[in-house]
Amino acid sequence: MKTRVLGFAGLAAVTAAAIYGLFVVPADLNQGDAQRIMYVHVASAWLAYASFGVTALAGIGYLWKRDLRFDAVALAGAEVGVMFTAFAIWGGMMWGRPVWGVYWQWEDPRLTTTALLLALYVGYLLLRRLTDDPARRASRAAVVGLIAAVDIPIVHFSVIWWRGLHQGPTIGDPGKILNPSAPLLFVAALMAMVAAFTLVWVYLMIRRYQLARVDWQIEEHGRLGRITAARRAGMAPAATTAGNEEPAS
Amino acid sequence: MRELRRAAAVALAIARKDATAELRGRQAAGSTLFFAALVLLLFGFALGPDSRRLTDAAPGLLWLAIVFGGLLTVSRLHQLEADDGALEQLALYPVDRRAVYAGKALAGAAAMLVLGGLLLPVVAILYAIPIGAAWLPLLAAVLLGAIGFAAVGTAYAGLTVRLRAREVMLPLLMLPIVAPLLLAAVKATGAALTGDPLGELGSWLQLLAAFDVIMLVVGAGTYGFLLEE
Amino acid sequence: MPQTTIYVAPRFPGTLGTTPLAVATVELARLFGRSAALAGVSVNVEVGRTVALLGPNGAGKTTLLRLCATAIRPSFGSLAIDGLDALRHPEQIRGRVAYLSHATGHYDDLSAAENLRFAATMFGWGAAEGAAVCDEALAGVGLDPVAQDRVGTFSAGMRKRLALARMLVARPSLVLLDEPHAALDDEGMALVDQLLGQWHEAGVTVLVASHQAERVARMADGAIRLDGGLVAEVTGAGVSLGSSVPTLTPQVAATGMDR
Repeated sequence: MKTRVLGFAGLAAVTAAAIYGLFVVPADLNQGDAQRIMYVHVASAWLAYASFGVTALAGIGYLWKRDLRFDAVALAGAEVGVMFTAFAIWGGMMWGRPVWGVYWQWEDPRLTTTALLLALYVGYLLLRRLTDDPARRASRAAVVGLIAAVDIPIVHFSVIWWRGLHQGPTIGDPGKILNPSAPLLFVAALMAMVAAFTLVWVYLMIRRYQLARVDWQIEEHGRLGRITAARRAGMAPAATTAGNEEPAS
Repeated sequence: MRELRRAAAVALAIARKDATAELRGRQAAGSTLFFAALVLLLFGFALGPDSRRLTDAAPGLLWLAIVFGGLLTVSRLHQLEADDGALEQLALYPVDRRAVYAGKALAGAAAMLVLGGLLLPVVAILYAIPIGAAWLPLLAAVLLGAIGFAAVGTAYAGLTVRLRAREVMLPLLMLPIVAPLLLAAVKATGAALTGDPLGELGSWLQLLAAFDVIMLVVGAGTYGFLLEE
Repeated sequence: MPQTTIYVAPRFPGTLGTTPLAVATVELARLFGRSAALAGVSVNVEVGRTVALLGPNGAGKTTLLRLCATAIRPSFGSLAIDGLDALRHPEQIRGRVAYLSHATGHYDDLSAAENLRFAATMFGWGAAEGAAVCDEALAGVGLDPVAQDRVGTFSAGMRKRLALARMLVARPSLVLLDEPHAALDDEGMALVDQLLGQWHEAGVTVLVASHQAERVARMADGAIRLDGGLVAEVTGAGVSLGSSVPTLTPQVAATGMDR
């Protein structure tokens, strides 16, 4: 019930923030209306990275505690995260076309890092699909999630240095949005969208986790069923000859 | 202290065993080297015949060839465990699994160092690169790149050795992870070859070193979980 | 066939009949995908006993051995080797257990001696003693004429002998054998029998799964017969049914989702 309220709240928040960002806040002088995409793009990107962090931490949790609930959280983070990542990249490209003139710009560190993030997520999810045994799947996924999460900061620094020597286009730097000298309204619109997206993110994570739990419970009942069926079908153990215990049931 | 010595002995024994197997199974290691050289040749056909363009692209092409050869190398080092079920035995020895990881990563790094080192003259010839005085920083870049690739590759090869669709999953998982390694190694190589006009060689080598250290630590910490079934 | 005594004394010797039990399982189960290879086995095996694992194909003999070797983790239930919980202290268990599986696990490009020397280092032997132990083990299994040959050239029987030599180098207190007689000629099978005898004498606990029930039963103190992943029958000395828990409660090892 609470989750449903959260879902509606998130939906309402996104709508409100979208209206604010689309109609209320003035357009950017340089980029025009295209700049409005940034509110959604940046919010999406932040949550994509946050999801990845969740996946990595949950993976560590599994390796430490061997509790498959951690793995369910990791899976939720990965699936929700891949959504936000894809959306962020799409938003980035949609913004890039009118502003840069091209869909892709190798010198934009955020875009390239996010693209790698998508590749890492997809690899993670594919790996999960290829492993049947739940425990082994959780172990492998945890390792991959951890290595990938550790890699992201390295990627971040390397692509920033990569660009460093080329004076990339200063107009059209998405980082300018967060420049403190930017008008307060821009920042407010961005923060509103981030908050709204976060609500939606939490909702999606909870729902996906619940789904994973149900999936697991169904599978577990199936497995337990196999065991009890095997026990019933198997021969009742006879008593030992060199007398000790009572015969087992 | 005694544990450290024991771990080192274990790691060295594993590395020595892998190296012996690599040298004896000469065809496989040599084939990988030849394949990488072939890739370099093919790049010439793909991007040539303008020599200027090839010379400019040389660092990137070299490292792509090293990466492709490296994928085959790390995969092979774990395949030799899988062939007769030796991996299961390896998982059952009363040894610290981080030492097992260290041994296999050491063997992988050595194999890739040889691969990279032998590709340098090939690149020099095919793309008209004057290596000359730059051989030391070049070798440093190859060494650091080899270590980093082997660090990640050992872990992922261990992960995929029993995985379905192994041949595609190993590259699929590895390539995004080694993207920064590739980037830094190419930049370092380029800087070394042009005499480092912007003074960036040191920074790129440091980035490589940082990558190596981080990946070795994470790899060692997680390899044990991958050996279990 | 040289009748030398092979040095088999375990590094962690127990005494016949004392606790803790060499092997103690409670509702031990292991699932592979949808099928239960082991569906709830509770047995106790005393230290120093030789126990035969009997049963048809697919009964769970190999799975039980692999669980005892800590090669795989249990899906449910618990397992203790020499009183050590398999989930909490697997490394300590590995130091005392040697497992002969269907796959012999050698490196084809290395010689028999090199394979064994590598194993010796893994088991903790130093350089000099390791060499001596390896030579002795190779001689004991009759492989010294081919010690320097690549294992890739070996027959299945020779590979098995090398695997047995590796077990000797390990000096285990619990020996797990999965079909040791398979792929061996008469001489090889006699070697296995000799080893079984020597292990028994040295107080090493042995669990041997075999189709050759009569041959093994002659040498064994007791027997566990499995069928369909469950214990069908327990006979002989030194082995008994363990306590069984009325309801099957999944271990944290594999779940956590029922809460």
